[in-house]
Amino acid sequence: MMRLPLRSRAMDDAFLLVGDSGRFFAADEAFIDRLLDDGLDVDDIAFLRRQSHMCEGTSGLGWLSHAHGLTQRWTRAGPLDYLILVPTLRCNLTCSYCQVSRAALDSQAHDWTDQTLAHVLALLDRLETPSVKIEFQGGEPLLRPDLIAAVIARCERFAERSFVICTNLSHLPDAAWPLLERDDVWISTSLDGDLATHQANRTANADATNAFVRNLDTLIDRFGAGKISALPTIDPARPPDIDALIDAYAGRGLTSIFLRQVNYHGFARKRHADSRTQGEAWRLYYEAFVRRLIERNWAARDRVLEESYLTLLLKRIFRGGHNRHVDLRNPNPMGMDYLVVDHDGQLYPTDEARMLSRSGVIDLAIGTIADGIDTARRDALNAHATNQYDPDCQRCAYQPYCGRDVVDDLARYGTIDLPRHETEFCRKHLHLFDFAFGLIYANDAPTQYSLRRWLGLAGDGIELGLRHP
Amino acid sequence: MIPLMIDADADADAPFVARLASDPPDGSLLTARRVTGDSRSAIYSGDAGLFELALPMDGNIAGDVLLVHPQRRRAERLLRHGSAHNTLLVTERCDQLCVMCSQPPKKTHEDRFALLTEACLLADPGQVIGITGGEPTLFKAQLLGMIETVLTARPDLRFHVLSNGQHFAATDIDRLRSPLYQRVEWGIPLYAAAAALHDRIVAKEGAFARLEDSLAHLLMAGANIELRTVVLSHNVDVLPNLARHVAARLGFIGVWSIMQLENIGFARNRWQELYHDHRHQFDPIAAALDIATLHGIGSRLFNFPLCTVPPAYRQFATASISDWKRRFGEACDACSAKADCSGFFEWHPAANLMEVIPL
Repeated sequence: MMRLPLRSRAMDDAFLLVGDSGRFFAADEAFIDRLLDDGLDVDDIAFLRRQSHMCEGTSGLGWLSHAHGLTQRWTRAGPLDYLILVPTLRCNLTCSYCQVSRAALDSQAHDWTDQTLAHVLALLDRLETPSVKIEFQGGEPLLRPDLIAAVIARCERFAERSFVICTNLSHLPDAAWPLLERDDVWISTSLDGDLATHQANRTANADATNAFVRNLDTLIDRFGAGKISALPTIDPARPPDIDALIDAYAGRGLTSIFLRQVNYHGFARKRHADSRTQGEAWRLYYEAFVRRLIERNWAARDRVLEESYLTLLLKRIFRGGHNRHVDLRNPNPMGMDYLVVDHDGQLYPTDEARMLSRSGVIDLAIGTIADGIDTARRDALNAHATNQYDPDCQRCAYQPYCGRDVVDDLARYGTIDLPRHETEFCRKHLHLFDFAFGLIYANDAPTQYSLRRWLGLAGDGIELGLRHP
Repeated sequence: MIPLMIDADADADAPFVARLASDPPDGSLLTARRVTGDSRSAIYSGDAGLFELALPMDGNIAGDVLLVHPQRRRAERLLRHGSAHNTLLVTERCDQLCVMCSQPPKKTHEDRFALLTEACLLADPGQVIGITGGEPTLFKAQLLGMIETVLTARPDLRFHVLSNGQHFAATDIDRLRSPLYQRVEWGIPLYAAAAALHDRIVAKEGAFARLEDSLAHLLMAGANIELRTVVLSHNVDVLPNLARHVAARLGFIGVWSIMQLENIGFARNRWQELYHDHRHQFDPIAAALDIATLHGIGSRLFNFPLCTVPPAYRQFATASISDWKRRFGEACDACSAKADCSGFFEWHPAANLMEVIPL
């Protein structure tokens, strides 16, 4: 009988033990002692066998199943089928935390040229997958509905296709409506909370705020809340009132909220310099927000509100194979299954990579739409795009669930060569995973109710967190 | 009930396969054309000469692939045109003797692989052909040969093979890794996480351990596996344990089917002893489904009429019962969910059919 590796992390009243394939349980300190002293008793061994933390040897089902579980924790990037397209960098808003350092509305040199469009269409023709997902970013992409329409028209050949237009909804030109009416088009927008906060952060004046709200509500009335995903960007120095923020979403039937701190990119690097690190204030706000969602879900059972990133973490905790969320996966191969085409035809591995280049921090372009991918530059980025061999990560109980983001390291520190625990990515995720496991093992009914809904369970009859004994 | 066997007279001496001209004729795959006939019988002409078929009262047989037995004066409708529930019985032998077996095994075996292969080659485009027994892998060489011949010639077809998983060996792995087998799904039963209980249900000592070996080989081959569990009064209480076992040890399966008992075969005489009425106690089934969902194991309920399942779990219940042996209660006609419902087996106790609640 062979025992497979377990890593531990202290929780409030127990220890969390996690296997390499992510299967976990909680145990008391006495169990840890028996584990360390080679003194496991009969019950311990039976439990570990049942949970596949022990197996018969290196050939039978137990071992193979464990190996399969490990592979489920690794991203195998498929062929390119996800594009982030930036038809223009121009924008009609001037948000203080703009991550992409938008260009002025009347600028002449920040839209795709005809040739860039032709190259993009040719790239679409070359994709080998039956499905395609395209996200239109900006700037404000709806300043160029003609370019969006041209791309969408070229995708008719795909059996499955989805398009997300990331827009500030400050102005919906007539040409946008035929696009918005399509069943395969979705809207992603920003809603920073109550309207005062939204105006302070983004729209600047009452007219612009009203126009935004009118457009948002018109879209929801016409197409339903399912058409739209919205996310708030939070300035931890001036966070909106939690209930007001939730009301702004729930009142419109928007049930998923991706609570996001100002991102240390673009204009935010100077105007929100404190966003380089996440302070205690942000963490407390985040936790209070989630706890309030739990209370509200318990009080009103007719709909379930969620914080989308926490839902993603929970799914990754309980399930292997959830490797298509490019913000959190491991390894995190860049320039493979998704790609950013910027306004000037430059190719970037991620949206954040183009932001860094735009800010003049480091040029992370990995080619151009005209000449294709510069594989040497891509390989350089991918050489360390994994947490697999990082000495800190190898000791961390959360490694199977976590990811790696070299672009984030470059953005904050100008290097990736840091002890993991000194990076914001690591500190942020340690906090989030600690928080998530605290919820998993919280034994109050409201918390368990929300977690079961976020994980898509039909009923309330099972315990989420396994305990030994 | 749709008849699967019809009376036939034929010139030929030996059994033969024929695909009847479809109506309207589709030009392809035609082996036998209708010469004359009326509403009760028809004469066909094909490669094996003339043959006459008694037409079923309620069934249109145009386009069917038949196996005609001149000596027995019968024809089997092997692949019914337009049906999604065509299943070929390749043997009636089995090396398990499950307490609830719906198709109790026989000692004799009639090797029909050559004829069945011929039939599969004539199948409607895009069909999933079911293979059942007995235990098909008792004749593994012939079975795999048939699968490979058919799937090589017909890239549009797929197989779903029911197997007890007692006969896969390490030496099969390379063969099963062939890309052809991406179009094969193996439906393999597991009744409990405890070896002793599983072995008792299948009446074969060591079956659980042998099954684990087979599953290891199938995993190495990258096989598509549908795990199947029939709910019995013997195992219903340990379904949550089984779900944890599946999550911990069998995470590589494609889907887990939890199946309600079929009142035929051995189960018929042991109904009171074996049947668990989930209308009165659904909790262990609900827990099993929740545990599977929690760990990303896709699961579904077979043979659970929708109105007998708590609303939150109806999403798992599929219209699983094959068309030819499915029936509904009278009140079901008023039900808005009938099209998505499994209905009942033809041979299900009639009293239950009276108890449906139209949705």
